[in-house]
Amino acid sequence: MAARKPVAVEIFTYQVGFGDCFLLRFVYATKMRHVLIDFGTTGLPPGAEASRMLVIARDIAEKCGGKLDVVVATHRHADHISGFATKDGTGSGDIIATLAKDALVLQPWTEAPDLAVDATGPLPDDQQGFAARRTSLAAMQAFSAALIAQLDAKPPRGLTASAAAQLNFIGRDNIANVSAVENLMTMGKVRTYAYHGLAVKLTQWLPGVKLRVLGPPTLKQSETIRKQRSSDADEFWQMAPQRLADASALGAGNVALFPGHPTDRATRLPMDVRWFARRIEAASGDQKLSLVRALDKAMNNTSLILLFEAGGKKLLFPGDAQIENWAYALAQPGVADLLAGVDLYKVGHHGSRNATPKTLWNGFAKRGGRSKKDRMTALLSTMPGKHGSSDEGANTEVPRSTLLKALADDTDLHATHLLDVAQLCDVVRLALR
Amino acid sequence: MATPKRSTPQDATVVVRVPHTRKLTIIAKDPGIMLPDGSMLFARIEIPAEELARGPTGYRVKVVDFDATAGRYYRPLKHYQTAEGALVDPFDAMTSGDVGGIDAAAQAALLADPNFHAQNAYAIVMRILARFEFALGRRVEWGFNGHQLHVAPHAFFDANAFYSNEDSGLMFGYWKGPTGAMVFTSLSHDIVAHEATHALLDGLRDRFTEPSSPDQAAFHEAFADIVALLSVFALPEVVAAILGAPPRDKRDAGVIRSIAPEKLTLEALQQSILAGIAAQLGTELNGLRGGALRQSVLLEPDAGLLDSDEFAEPHRRGEVLVAAFMRTVLRLWVKRIAKLGTFAGGAYNLDMVIEEGAKVGDHLLTMAIRAVDYCPPTDIDFCAYLASFLTADAELMPDDSRYGYRATLRDIFASYGIVTPDGGRCADDGSWLAFDAGLPVNYARSHFESMLRDKDEVFRFIWDNRRVLGIDARALIKVGAVRPSIRQSPDGFFVRETVCTYVQVAKIFGSEVKTVLGVDRPPELETTRSITAFGGGTLIFDQYGRIKYHIAHPLNDTARQAHRLACLGEIETAETAFDRRNRFALLHTARFGG
Repeated sequence: MAARKPVAVEIFTYQVGFGDCFLLRFVYATKMRHVLIDFGTTGLPPGAEASRMLVIARDIAEKCGGKLDVVVATHRHADHISGFATKDGTGSGDIIATLAKDALVLQPWTEAPDLAVDATGPLPDDQQGFAARRTSLAAMQAFSAALIAQLDAKPPRGLTASAAAQLNFIGRDNIANVSAVENLMTMGKVRTYAYHGLAVKLTQWLPGVKLRVLGPPTLKQSETIRKQRSSDADEFWQMAPQRLADASALGAGNVALFPGHPTDRATRLPMDVRWFARRIEAASGDQKLSLVRALDKAMNNTSLILLFEAGGKKLLFPGDAQIENWAYALAQPGVADLLAGVDLYKVGHHGSRNATPKTLWNGFAKRGGRSKKDRMTALLSTMPGKHGSSDEGANTEVPRSTLLKALADDTDLHATHLLDVAQLCDVVRLALR
Repeated sequence: MATPKRSTPQDATVVVRVPHTRKLTIIAKDPGIMLPDGSMLFARIEIPAEELARGPTGYRVKVVDFDATAGRYYRPLKHYQTAEGALVDPFDAMTSGDVGGIDAAAQAALLADPNFHAQNAYAIVMRILARFEFALGRRVEWGFNGHQLHVAPHAFFDANAFYSNEDSGLMFGYWKGPTGAMVFTSLSHDIVAHEATHALLDGLRDRFTEPSSPDQAAFHEAFADIVALLSVFALPEVVAAILGAPPRDKRDAGVIRSIAPEKLTLEALQQSILAGIAAQLGTELNGLRGGALRQSVLLEPDAGLLDSDEFAEPHRRGEVLVAAFMRTVLRLWVKRIAKLGTFAGGAYNLDMVIEEGAKVGDHLLTMAIRAVDYCPPTDIDFCAYLASFLTADAELMPDDSRYGYRATLRDIFASYGIVTPDGGRCADDGSWLAFDAGLPVNYARSHFESMLRDKDEVFRFIWDNRRVLGIDARALIKVGAVRPSIRQSPDGFFVRETVCTYVQVAKIFGSEVKTVLGVDRPPELETTRSITAFGGGTLIFDQYGRIKYHIAHPLNDTARQAHRLACLGEIETAETAFDRRNRFALLHTARFGG
């Protein structure tokens, strides 16, 4: 029945600064259906009004005509969910919750509230591992929160300004956004916690649209391609907050490592030890940064990777999935062929270099110069100068300049950081044949 | 060792002997290793003697006990020599020889004293340095521009320890273990030895940290593990303790201790010794090292391991080399035990058994280190290392018939899928093919004496002979080192060699890989993309200044360059640490963290 199939899709990419927020409008002959994918920011564009998120929530309400059919929160980083936070019924998250009253709410399996997942949510295949993973994700956020509190109270010596800024930025992104998480936990009519290969039937919400969940893999699935024992990592993170507290007690001078042994303060060091003492301070700062990066990555790798198919078109929304999350999907038979035909690609992790695997990029058949027939579209929501660094060949700046160039050369690129700050969103329309 | 006396003009007839070594107390293995009575195992180890400044600070190692987390510098209070100049061990609390337990109070006092931690790290680093210098027959440089390796025994509160080229030093972290007691990585013999080895290997081959094949990434870790394991293994009472014998006591001097033959089979030793060393190292470190080491020493032979995805990750891959190496030690040990006499009932003299083990360990450690001299300076892989090892051993011990060291090594390595490189580069015995004396090398324009120490002289020699050596003159050529070495063989003969390395660095575009490297351009490598390729070689000159070996990785070595490009393609997408400080730090964290 033709009426049951969408004839076009419009994608509104909101300008949230460093974050993601996409509204998909599937246009049918007689109706429209709406999908919200992520709604968060960790840094509004310079010059944007402070109430930008509220303004966007109202705009979403208007565009969707008061009803969201599907809400997706790809993972729990602040730059993807902060907009879901509620505030006495007047926050941006309150608006979304009202719009999503009857919606399907899709989140990664790592967000399932407990082991007794409801009937529509699949039971993870390794209960113990699941519990450990949940605890460790919570511990990561506790660690971030404590670290940020520590940074605010007493910035560490020896950290360069750019390293300190990064530590701060990534740290804040990883702090638990309790209000948003709780809102998502009770939002909508049906809540599904998804993993690679889970069949999610959209008939009721988006007739004629097929959804494939490509990631994240479950523990058992990732076991098959593991290079690291995940339980070690879980255990490590579960102990991390306590370690930070122990370190903090030492740093504050509340505890002495060697009681009674004479010491000198960092500012009163003998001449012959100063140089290396500064190096130790710098190395210690770097260690903190690398820990925070590791947890940031772990969190990114819980991202949903979603492929929408309708009318012969494929739309790929991988959240912030990094290479480790992608690796499982890309190793599965048929996935490479499936992804070769992608028409629209939401650039992973705001354009960082680890979130667009080469095999994925090279496999896109529809990328090419302007004259390319059915040339693919790329959506990039990002803000430069926030994340990573291009200093001394680190090549971690976000968005990554080489990727940005490749995107500009080979796709019809829509990037939020190129929009005028007053412009709320960018629109892309694809006809679904 | 004679105690030095100051010679005075009034007493001119006193003979002054300056000791070459001194003994310092360390924890033999790990704070976690307890003797049956609950005390820890300590040892006094012999290291090069010198007059130490506070720290301790000596001619190669400078301990700076600054703690970044606490923001405190723990003052060094100990003196390492008397007013008369006699060398002392400020922590000598041993009552029973050089290795053993000490009473609980003395033990607690040592652990609570940061200066003891400093001494422990200092002494173990010096021991490893001395071991390298002994094996190589010359002074050995660190991997950074400087003479003294900085050591921070309590760098910060973190479950990590690493070598940082950037900081010219080793950083040892500490943290609170599961029991609530602090765990200090600077007290772990194995960890200190491991990190010191990174610093030394980096000095011998600074290009082994460049992005290359998985083997190269794995090699640094594996080599450091091998040296650390054998360094612990070389302490006889540690081996005795694991075999169930208490430390020697003055009272039992001379008593023969025996051990039953069933404890000395290959399988039994593997379970007791290797698993024992590895597992105990990890008890207090909370899985930081023990788990991985245990896994590697018990890894069963399988020629397909290195091709599996699981063993593509550097640490897992390194385990294969460690496993092959440690299994060789055991196999040779068992062979030597079999040649010992037995008592009634077939029992062996325990001390003789241990001594045989120490001999094997010591010999293989010497060869493992010496082999690095015969390694190509870039893009090391396990196969090239095996050939280098066989060459080092054959140079010193041409006759392998008695215990079959090299044959055993080759067999066991082959069972793990590590065989010597093909392509006519190796002789039948697996060692590198000697340089063809018939080639028209021009020696006339270089001076033999200068060739022993002068990089420019060696460069001229290489330049003059670039065609016959197969060196591409279009790439940058740099002589890395010129190192004259004198090595003593077990039969008393000396082998004199000069080891020179040169590296070639070619910065090229994707479009040039065919013409420069001889490799078909992989489709994903854009023609305009800039890449760096490495080549280079090790030239070993004999005592007459003639080339004995030219162990080369030419720039246009197609197979190697193609393999490297393929591997780099993968590395580019997986996250790599380009940050020089964090190169080792991240590798280590990866073991237990993200």
